[in-house]
Amino acid sequence: MPISSFYGMQTSLRGLIAQQRMLDTTGHNIANASTVGYSRQEALLSASLAQQIQVSGAGNMTGAHLGSGVDVQGFRRVRDQFLDAQYRAQNTNLSDWQARAEGLDSAELSLNEPSDTGINAQLTKFWQSWSDLSKSPDDQAAKQALVQQAGALTDSIHSVRSQMVAAQDAATGQYNQIAGAGGEVTKIATELAGLNKTIAAFVVNGDSPNDLMDRRDLLIDQLSQYGQVSVEQLQGGSTNVSFVDGTTGTKYPIVTDQTADWAGPPAGGWSPGGQMGGLLAIGKSGGTIDGYLASIDSFADSLATAVNNAYGGAFFTTSAPSGASIAVSAPIQAAPASITSGSGATGSNDLALAVSQLRGNAAIDGVYKAFVAKVGGDLNESQRMQANAQVLADSVEDRRQSVAGVSMDEEMSNLVRFQRAYQASARAMSTMDEMLDVLINRTGRVGL
Amino acid sequence: MRITTSMVQRNVLSDLNTLQSALAKTQSKAASQKEITRPSDDPFKAAQAMGLRSSIGANEQYVRNIQDAQGWMDSTESSLDSITQYVNRAHDLLLQGATDTADATSRNAIAKEIDQIIQGIKETANASYGDKYIMSGTATSTPPYLLGDDDTYQGNQAGLDPAIPGIVREIGPGVTMTINSVAVEFLGEGRTNPTDGKLLNALRDISDHLKADDGAALRGGDMTGLQNRLDSLLEIRARNGAMTNRLDSATARIDQITGALTDQLSNTEDADFAKTLIQFNSQSAAYNAALKAGANIVQSSLMDFLR
Repeated sequence: MPISSFYGMQTSLRGLIAQQRMLDTTGHNIANASTVGYSRQEALLSASLAQQIQVSGAGNMTGAHLGSGVDVQGFRRVRDQFLDAQYRAQNTNLSDWQARAEGLDSAELSLNEPSDTGINAQLTKFWQSWSDLSKSPDDQAAKQALVQQAGALTDSIHSVRSQMVAAQDAATGQYNQIAGAGGEVTKIATELAGLNKTIAAFVVNGDSPNDLMDRRDLLIDQLSQYGQVSVEQLQGGSTNVSFVDGTTGTKYPIVTDQTADWAGPPAGGWSPGGQMGGLLAIGKSGGTIDGYLASIDSFADSLATAVNNAYGGAFFTTSAPSGASIAVSAPIQAAPASITSGSGATGSNDLALAVSQLRGNAAIDGVYKAFVAKVGGDLNESQRMQANAQVLADSVEDRRQSVAGVSMDEEMSNLVRFQRAYQASARAMSTMDEMLDVLINRTGRVGL
Repeated sequence: MRITTSMVQRNVLSDLNTLQSALAKTQSKAASQKEITRPSDDPFKAAQAMGLRSSIGANEQYVRNIQDAQGWMDSTESSLDSITQYVNRAHDLLLQGATDTADATSRNAIAKEIDQIIQGIKETANASYGDKYIMSGTATSTPPYLLGDDDTYQGNQAGLDPAIPGIVREIGPGVTMTINSVAVEFLGEGRTNPTDGKLLNALRDISDHLKADDGAALRGGDMTGLQNRLDSLLEIRARNGAMTNRLDSATARIDQITGALTDQLSNTEDADFAKTLIQFNSQSAAYNAALKAGANIVQSSLMDFLR
């Protein structure tokens, strides 16, 4: 079979087109160098189908294969699904501790310890007021001062408790914003279902919609921040995505193929890990902050009981929950003079003394001190775990970026490479052109 | 490993963040002069610091209580001293009145002075500290004695009778001290209770015997009786003195403990200023170095070298 004179032109054209696609891909990579979730792409080239030609000397008709240039087979994104899974697991862990550390931070802040104004300091002053009263058992000023100081102490207890409740509410509110109906997870689920549909439509045609797949992976990354996710790749490019309970292993579907399934968190308790798990751990009933509230209540309770017992009457009144309700009893508040400092005559001070001797009591001061240490310890642990998780997540993210990220230097060198290749193809084409010029314009002009 | 642009940027940024948060922490240490500003900085030390603060607060209160008790004891002591002087004077008068040379007139004159001494002693027993009568037990608003012929004790037995708590000061953790004296313990009730054998009775007897011109009684029972009363008065003063000593040593002990506690608190929660500053300097040097290195790494690329 004869070969067209223009065959080489075609080969060069293929080269020009391929190099142009490579340059386009490089441009796309550079443009998206700082796009979150973008994985770099590359054009897949392969030599185009060779032309079978007859050559003299070949005995049979099979002949030789003349190369015909290059074809762009497709564009692929460079990404390691295994690193994705690793990153998501670390991200879940990191978000879990981050949520705990943030929630406990506000709980700790409300304690305002160690300071000259926290409950510990108020308690010290409260005991001092009783001691002062024991020195002047019938002094109106001392009684008035005691009632004021007791009020300051109960105010501090109320304020700490209400701020803890606020921290708890904030955690629960945030959890509902993420997991609740119409929350973040629902939005992501809807978008994922849409993406699955579009991607499947392309994949059926044999296309690889790289940028849509990047977007889908980014959304799953975001889900992994909220809780532990499991991703199941389906035939045809679609996915099933679900949250996994870290304890029971039960799956709670978010997206099944092209349907968004998420309608809110399961009714019973679950441990999804991630931000939801962290928020649940501190905010749920029976969670960390609930434990703190119980500690404050039992502290207020033992304070009231011990003082009332020593005083031999109702100095403090409490009702459930004690931490929010402890107060100096109404009759004493109305008439501080009615405080009896002693069981005997004017100068007797045994009752005031008995209360003042409660100072440093393991069931009051000791309980509070242990409580502060517990809050501090919990936060300290969360912060330490968060720092650890951060290091792990960073190192996996580094490895992921190492595979999928755009390196400017690499793109620049590619740019040079592809530009030169384009120039060379163009040069090859001009060579063909010159050759044809000789053939067409200079051939057969003998004697002209 | 392939190093990508975003990796470099993220690493530079996270390193800068780490250094900056360390700097901020050191800065707040330097500003607050405290090693621990929140319980989570070191939960154990924070709890320890809270305990130390409470103990220091308690000790400050104990010192104030002791000072008050010392004032009380000083008042008691000066009253007892005056009473002792009165008794000494009465003793002198008794010696004069008991001699055979004394006649009814002079004994009568001496009896007048003894009567004045009795009033003086009762007045002294009515001494107060602040607005509180110090020798009426816990009935601090009632003077122990009425002036005049009625010697009935007006106060109560609190503090003397172990069953009734007296006026007690808390002078240490779990340590209390009853500081009131009960006048009736050594003065008795005079004519109201003529058989109690206390000082007022002895003086009333002397006065009666002087007025009755009964030299024998004066030389006999009255003389030994007054001597015995003086002895028991001195005993009570010795007891008070011992209590004052106890208060003094308690003050010294609490001062020492407070000093030790303050040192310990400072060791626990105060920042070492020199160390903090050195830390701050080395951290800010590291931060500057990271900034410079970061700026160079992030800026340079192959683009700088391609035409």
